[in-house]
Parts: sequence; structure tokens; C-alpha cells
Amino acid sequence: MIRLENVTKTYGTEIPAVRDASFEVAKGEFVFMVGPSGSGKSTLLRLMNRQEQPERGAVWVAGKDINEMSDSKVPYLRRNIGNIFQDYKLLLNKTVFENVAFALEVIGRPKHVIRQQVPAVLDLVGLSDKEDRFPHQLSGGEQQRVSIARAFVNRPLILLADEPTGNLDPATGEGIMRLLDRINNTGTTVVMATHDQRIVNMMRRRVVQLDRGVIVRDQERGVYD
Amino acid sequence: MIARISYAFRETWASFKRNVTLTMAAVITSAVSLLLVGSTFLIQRAFDNLLTRWKGDVELIVYVRSDADVNQIQVIQDALNSQPAVIDVSKLRYLDQAQSYAEAQKLFAGDPGTLRLLTPENIPSQFKVVPISQDSNLIRELGEQFRSLAGVREVAYAQDVFDVVARVSQFIRIATTAMSIVLLVVAVGLIWNTIRTAMFARRREIEVMKLVGATNWFIRIPFMLEGLMQGLIGGVLSCLGLWGLNTAWSNAVADFNDTELAALVVTDGYMRFVMFILLGIGAIAGAVGSGIAATRFLDV
Repeated sequence: MIRLENVTKTYGTEIPAVRDASFEVAKGEFVFMVGPSGSGKSTLLRLMNRQEQPERGAVWVAGKDINEMSDSKVPYLRRNIGNIFQDYKLLLNKTVFENVAFALEVIGRPKHVIRQQVPAVLDLVGLSDKEDRFPHQLSGGEQQRVSIARAFVNRPLILLADEPTGNLDPATGEGIMRLLDRINNTGTTVVMATHDQRIVNMMRRRVVQLDRGVIVRDQERGVYD
Repeated sequence: MIARISYAFRETWASFKRNVTLTMAAVITSAVSLLLVGSTFLIQRAFDNLLTRWKGDVELIVYVRSDADVNQIQVIQDALNSQPAVIDVSKLRYLDQAQSYAEAQKLFAGDPGTLRLLTPENIPSQFKVVPISQDSNLIRELGEQFRSLAGVREVAYAQDVFDVVARVSQFIRIATTAMSIVLLVVAVGLIWNTIRTAMFARRREIEVMKLVGATNWFIRIPFMLEGLMQGLIGGVLSCLGLWGLNTAWSNAVADFNDTELAALVVTDGYMRFVMFILLGIGAIAGAVGSGIAATRFLDV
């Protein structure tokens, strides 16, 4: 589903954020990218949906070299990739329903599809009763659930999660992880960057560890150490 | 498709309301610059009308001394009538002092100082001569002959006035064109700036849109529509302004009915053409300015 081949990415003239990284993520896999802040986790995620382009190496997603595709094709690539962030990136002037509907609206989905899909996905994340709330009326965990609903409403092949539990207390974070696990069980590939040891150890999934831009460990059913 | 169109219009309207002051500035600037563009068109056209009318009209005026007696006037008239090869005798017109005075009242309406110096007694009477020949040298030669006749005070060639007016109109054309281009650039810049501000206000939204896979065109179109509307509203305002100005001017000039100034107007058909052009320029300038701005700031 995702394959990186000797990818190097440098910001400005500084030392590379990612150096000569190669690894592959199979369809339906759940992968943790771990490592301290600045080790290149987020950069790797940004390389996977072409928010960044590498200096060297290739990034393959769903059978396509995404750095070879023209700019006009990038939006269609991104429709297959959901994104979740530490700070949720919700639109504060829109309700829960509108935030999720927005993701369908801007890719031109018709109203009847929106009316059907949005309640379904809100039900999945457990927010059916809160669709008319605004983000500031929700807890952090609920806001993250809205952002997961928005990322998943279009049924993407891949979900990229950048520190999704970073702003949440442990119990709430566990709830989010259970939700991501359920989404993963539907066949969606999940790549999650985190430095939350507890969660990585709890989940027992594949762990790819980064240190100053270099992959130093790639372990099935690993732990954070 | 309908969902997309209604989305675009909803966003455009919301953005309009969010940025009222900047939008007003952009609209007013484009209105003023387009008004100037329109005025350039109309002034040019009016001068062209005036010059065409003159070209085929009086080319030579023989002013007769105010103290000339009847015989001297008769001599001049006979001399003019004896040149049917050069001048159109049938169009030869004599304005006596009373008529000349009446004409001067209109010609110098804006110049009371000059008017005060003139009286029906001291004003020269005049022969208005329409030449047949287009050869201005021949006409000048003839004029020089008349100048030597007793009782002739002065011979004026319309060609000289014509050249002055043509030069003035040329100058006005260049000045107004330059000014309207400068203002148009300012208007595009202001539209560009409103769009930039609008995009900055919505940068979170744009970021999300890009992440969930909205195409660049989808993101850009509401902004371009906003710019286009600003240009178009500016165009409509400038049309109203131009129509008002032209009506006022035409009414004012109508008072000069029997002088050449009356030709300094434009017809309704041309007016409609100019309005159409203004709306077109407004729409295009707005869409292009905002399109460039939107493209520049779309690279998150």
C-alpha cells in the first residue's frame, strides 16, 4: 500500500529530516512511527500524502509513484488518504455535522450522499447525539473523534495519524486508539506517528523507530523502548 | 454540480460580508478607474465627431472691420462670389454685427471678461466661407488676397483652430488613457489584496480542503468569483456614473445648438458599446487579479 525507497528529505540547508529511509506498509497494516520530537516522524507522514516531496528516493502509494504525478492529480491521491492531527484542525465556525460534511462537500459529493454518510460515520465514532455542537462545546477526545470521522467519512484506503493522542489524557487516548483499531479492522491501513510509550506498548503492533531521521528499528508486534 | 455551484456562491457571499471595507475599497477604485476609461472613450468619440463636422463645415472666416461701410462689405461679398471654383458660394453666410454679437454671447459664455469688451457696435461682422477645394494652400492663398481688401479686419483659417483642437484632443486622449491605466492597475492591486486577505482569513479551511482532496480549482473558484463580482459591481457603478455625466454634458451642450460645440456629444449606441466594454474590463480584471492572487497563496 505504501512503499518508501531510500527517501531523503532536507528542510533548507540543515541536516536531513529524513535520511535514506526505506520501508513498506502492507494493505490493512497498523504501523507506529516512534521516536523523539524532531526525529522525522511527521516528515515521513507528510511525504506520504505529498505535502512534502523528497530530494532523493521514491514514495509509492497504492501502486503510484506520488512524486511523479502531476500537481493536478494530487487532490485525487489525497481522497484516498485520511489525516488526523494532534490539534484536530476542526473548523471552529462549523458544527460537528458540518465539519464532517465539509470533507465530502469540497470533493463535490452530492447532498443525498452527505446526508447518508455523515450520520453513519458519526455513529461509528460515537457522536450521533452531538452533531449540532460546535467544537468549543466538545471535550478534546470528542474533538479528535470528529476529526477521525472527517478523515474516515470518505472511506480512505489509508489513515495517517500524527500524534492523535498527544493532547489527550491517558483514558481518552485509549478510547481514540480503540476507535483507530476498529477502523483498521475494516481494512484501512493506519500509519500513526507517536511518542506515547504507553499506547505503543498496549497495542502491540508493528513499530518503526526513527532517530534523527534514520530508521533504526522495524519490528513486528513491537514495543516502545 | 449544483452542489458545487451553490457552494461557490455561498462562499463568495460569506467572504463579501466578512471583508466589507476592503471590498468597498476595491469596488470603488475599480468604478473610478473604469469611469475614467469610459470617459476616455467618450471624450475621444466626441472630439472625433466635432472634428468631422468641422472638416466639412466652415474652413475660412473673413472678419469685417466694425467701421466698414456697406460698399466695402459689398466688395468683399462680390470678391468671394467671384471664386466659385474654390469656395462653395451657395453656403456663403454673412453674419452682421447683431448676429455676430449673439454668436459671441454663446462662444464666450464661459469667459465674461472677453464678453464685457464686446458690444454690438465694436464686434466685427463676418463671412463664413465653406471651401470646395480641399487644397489648404489654395485656400490660404485666397485668404491672403481677401486680407488686402479694404474693410477686412482679419482672415481666420478653421484649419488652424482645427489643428489646435486635434492637438488638444490628442493630449486629452493620452492623459486620460494613462490615468485610467494607472487606476486600473491600482484597482487590480486592491482586488488582489482583498482576495489575499480573504484567503488568509480562511487559511485553516483551505488547509483542510487541500488535505481532504479538494481540487485547486474548487478552492480557487469562490475567490475568483469574488474578484469578478467586485470588478463587475465596479463596472456597473462606472456605467451609471458615465451615463449621468454624459446626460449632464449633452444637456449643457444642447444650449450651444447653432455652434460647433453642439457636435461634442456621443450617440446612445456608442454609449451602450462603451458600457459593455466597461463591464467586460471590470469582470476580466477582477477575475484575473483574484485568480492570480488565489494561485499564489494556494501553495500551503
